[in-house]
Amino acid sequence: MAAATSSERFGGAVENLTEISEIQSALVKLSKEEQSVTDEIDLLLDHHGHLEAKMNSLHRMGPNLQHVSTDAKKLSGMIGSTSELAENVSSKVRQLDLAKSLVQSAIQRVNDILDLKFCTDGVQTALQSEDYEKAAGHIHRYLTLDEKVLKQALEDAGNREGSSIDASLKVLHEAEHNLKALVRKKLDQAISSSDRPSVERFFKIFPLLNLHEEGLTKFSTYLQAQIVSNAREHLEIASSVDSSDRRAGVLYADALTNLFEDVGKIIEVHQPLVETYYGPGKLLTLIESLQKECDRQAQKIIDKFVEQRDFSRKSQQVQLSLTRTTYKSSNVHDKLDPRDLDVLLAECTLLNTRTELYLRFIRRRVTSDIEVCDEDGPAKEERLSSLDRMLRDCALSRRMQEIIGNYIVMEEYFMRETVMKAVSMDIIEPGSHTSSMVDDIFFILKKCTRRAVSSGSVDCACAMLNHTSTLLESDYRDVLYGKLRAGFPSGSFDVSQAYSMLQQGRLPTSASDTNAAKLEFLTTLNNVEVSIEYTQTLKKSLVEECASLVSQNGGMSKDKLDMCLNELTTHTHKFKDVLEYGLSQLNTSAIKPRIKPMVDVFLSTSHNISEEEFSNYEANDPFVQELIMNLEQLLNEFKELLTSSNYDALVSLLTSEVTVQLEKAVLKSVFNRLGGLQFDKELRSLVGYLTTVTQWTIRDKFARLTQMATILNLDRVTEILDYWGSNSGPLTWRLTPAEVRQVLSLRLDFRSEDIKRLKL
Amino acid sequence: MEDYKYLFKVVLIGNAGVGKTCLVRRFTQGLFPPGQGATIGVDFMIKTIEIGGEKVKLQIWDTAGQERFRSITQSYYHSADALVLVFDVTSKESFNALPSWLREVEQYASPKVISVLVGNKIDLGKDREVNEEDGQSFADSHSMRFLETSAKESDNVDRLFLDIAVELTNNVRNGEIRHDDHEDIIKDTTSVSTCCKG
Ligand SMILES: Nc1nc2c(ncn2[C@@H]2O[C@H](COP(=O)(O)OP(=O)(O)OP(=O)(O)O)[C@@H](O)[C@H]2O)c(=O)[nH]1
Ligand SMILES: [Mg+2]
Repeated sequence: MAAATSSERFGGAVENLTEISEIQSALVKLSKEEQSVTDEIDLLLDHHGHLEAKMNSLHRMGPNLQHVSTDAKKLSGMIGSTSELAENVSSKVRQLDLAKSLVQSAIQRVNDILDLKFCTDGVQTALQSEDYEKAAGHIHRYLTLDEKVLKQALEDAGNREGSSIDASLKVLHEAEHNLKALVRKKLDQAISSSDRPSVERFFKIFPLLNLHEEGLTKFSTYLQAQIVSNAREHLEIASSVDSSDRRAGVLYADALTNLFEDVGKIIEVHQPLVETYYGPGKLLTLIESLQKECDRQAQKIIDKFVEQRDFSRKSQQVQLSLTRTTYKSSNVHDKLDPRDLDVLLAECTLLNTRTELYLRFIRRRVTSDIEVCDEDGPAKEERLSSLDRMLRDCALSRRMQEIIGNYIVMEEYFMRETVMKAVSMDIIEPGSHTSSMVDDIFFILKKCTRRAVSSGSVDCACAMLNHTSTLLESDYRDVLYGKLRAGFPSGSFDVSQAYSMLQQGRLPTSASDTNAAKLEFLTTLNNVEVSIEYTQTLKKSLVEECASLVSQNGGMSKDKLDMCLNELTTHTHKFKDVLEYGLSQLNTSAIKPRIKPMVDVFLSTSHNISEEEFSNYEANDPFVQELIMNLEQLLNEFKELLTSSNYDALVSLLTSEVTVQLEKAVLKSVFNRLGGLQFDKELRSLVGYLTTVTQWTIRDKFARLTQMATILNLDRVTEILDYWGSNSGPLTWRLTPAEVRQVLSLRLDFRSEDIKRLKL
Repeated sequence: MEDYKYLFKVVLIGNAGVGKTCLVRRFTQGLFPPGQGATIGVDFMIKTIEIGGEKVKLQIWDTAGQERFRSITQSYYHSADALVLVFDVTSKESFNALPSWLREVEQYASPKVISVLVGNKIDLGKDREVNEEDGQSFADSHSMRFLETSAKESDNVDRLFLDIAVELTNNVRNGEIRHDDHEDIIKDTTSVSTCCKG
């Protein structure tokens, strides 16, 4: 083909060749061309095999590629359609959503419009038929409608529909306005004519018109008026009560109680109404305004109380005499008789008891109302603390705090004066260990502290407990100590003469009155001892009294009361010191001087004796029987006059004195074996006797003497070693080795070398 | 029961609003209470501290300054080991009231009582109405110790109470006064230790 083409190409040229040379050169050229083409073909033919193989393998791949390509195409198609589908679906959902909400708001709007129309019609007919509840119901429904949306609907709807809605709104606005004015007027009227059913009727309508606060305010005005009129009655009744009436002494406490009961009843009756129609959590608002009226009325009662009971003058007089006594110039004439205070004090505490009771009631009520609405956190805290503030700062609380403040001063005065009177009128009755003042004083203390506790005020109770502690620990203790300071007169003692002297009301003044002075001293010892016991008893009974106070007030009040109660008995050791002091006085002047001569008889009784003398002693006791008799006589002077505990203390002192003196006497005497035996017998009799006269154990006091007797009864000096050191067994030696040697040397028959040789 | 060697009663007195409650709360709880309301009657707090290795328990009575609580407050004077008389350095009135407070102290407190004068609220420097020298010389003329404090900034508050505790402890140790509660405390603790062994 190439040739053909070239021939074609050259054809014209070749045909046009005229010169041989030209033809020849063309031939050469063509030949050359032919040669190169041939070469080319050869080359291509050489490649042919290789290409063939390649082609074969490509041919084999062909079908595979076909698969892949179709698969890929399929996949792409699928993805494409899926995405399209998804796109379709989601947009449809969106559309649906939109459609749905549009439908809903349309329905809502339709409903609203329907309601609006319904309300509009309803409110008018309801108003016409004076069915205010129904009218308010409609207004309430209307107030829950979203007016903005309705206005929007109004614009959308164009003129026809729009103007009708507009008209409805106008009607409702007007109706709302009218109804509000109407129920306000009606409620005010009902309140001023105390038309209870109408008050309640219109009160219930206010929350429907979103006028909660106003409703509550008006309602509380109504309730306040009730409080006022009741209170006026109570006060009138109070002022007409005859002074002989059983309740005359607590008239004002009664009046206050009635007031509180009224307020309580009002709250009790109306709380359900408020809760039902106004919801929970509204009680505080109501009570805050009721409390204002309660405050005013309570003040009136308290004012009357202060005026009629001459409260201010009495409390000033007490204040005055308190400062006066500190300047030591109390004038008997313008001093208030404590008996004049007794009734007044009782009424004071009753006033406060009632107040505390009432305030607790209010707290309980409001707190549970606050708990019911399930607010939490700061809002609730705020409500609770404003309740706290109201209870703490209300005029009633403040006024009662003032009354109680004055009460405490007067009660302390009453207590102190009455106690001092009991001291000054103290009498000793035959047969009684204590004098009249102990029972009297503790009766007074109990009465006053119980009265203070009954006030229901923890601080008041604590204050009187403090005053009681002070009175006991300083004033009363001083009285007792003062009586013992003079000491126990020495000399003989005729009890019956003492009684007759004291009963004539004469205080022991001269030396001849020592009998009376002695009796008084012993009675005072008993007074001290019994007072310690009574203080414990007083505290115990007050702990019980205070238990209710703690349960009402809780927390800190318990700690405070505990502190003040404990204070009552922390000073008993001061009384014990006084008792010890008195007993030692008694010991010094009545026991010690009389014991020595009794025991000294021992010195004139020989303990270096023969068998004959020993058996003679058996028949005619030379010492111990007489000693016992004398001791008994001495103790008998006191036995009946002392409390058993004081008597035991006296026996103990006497025993100590006897042992001291007897030890001295023994160490001044000499013994033989039989004399030692005699001494042992004497000692046993003495211990035996003293053991029978006291509850306390006295054996221990005789330990040293008993050990001396043991030594004086030894057969040989060395026998002591059977009892000494590692052989002492349960015996604890109270004698030093030197004393042992000294006692051994009292035995005339023991050789001093033997004693010296002892290894102790 | 806690173990402690000594127990002392400290009573704070002074006009309403001078900062007694704030001082006590700063010392016992380490805080300055916001919106502290007036005290009603008497409050009390306990704080145990250590003095020379020994536990000292302070029973702190925080009294109300308002007049109508005066008779309640007075009942605590007698058993007080220490009285802290507080005034407010920004209130001349509270300073002027000091003599009448001292008259009460004289009338009701035990002669053994330690009393300390405290001028509080020194953080309010620009409102000061009573300068330090006046406080000091009043204290000197009534042989009391004097200290200026700020409950708000915690200035000198610990020192106030610690000084009191140290002085009271030393007094007992030196036997200058025989402390009433001392023996009871010893008794109490022994009874406790025996009951714990059982
Ligand atoms: N700037 C300042 N204010 C203080 C300080 N101490 C107390 N206050 C403020 O003074 C006011 C009265 O403090 P209280 O501690 O309640 O006073 P009080 O002496 O206990 O008062 P009564 O209980 O009524 O006797 C409160 O508003 C306190 O915040 C103080 O150191 N600095
Ligand atoms: Mg305070």
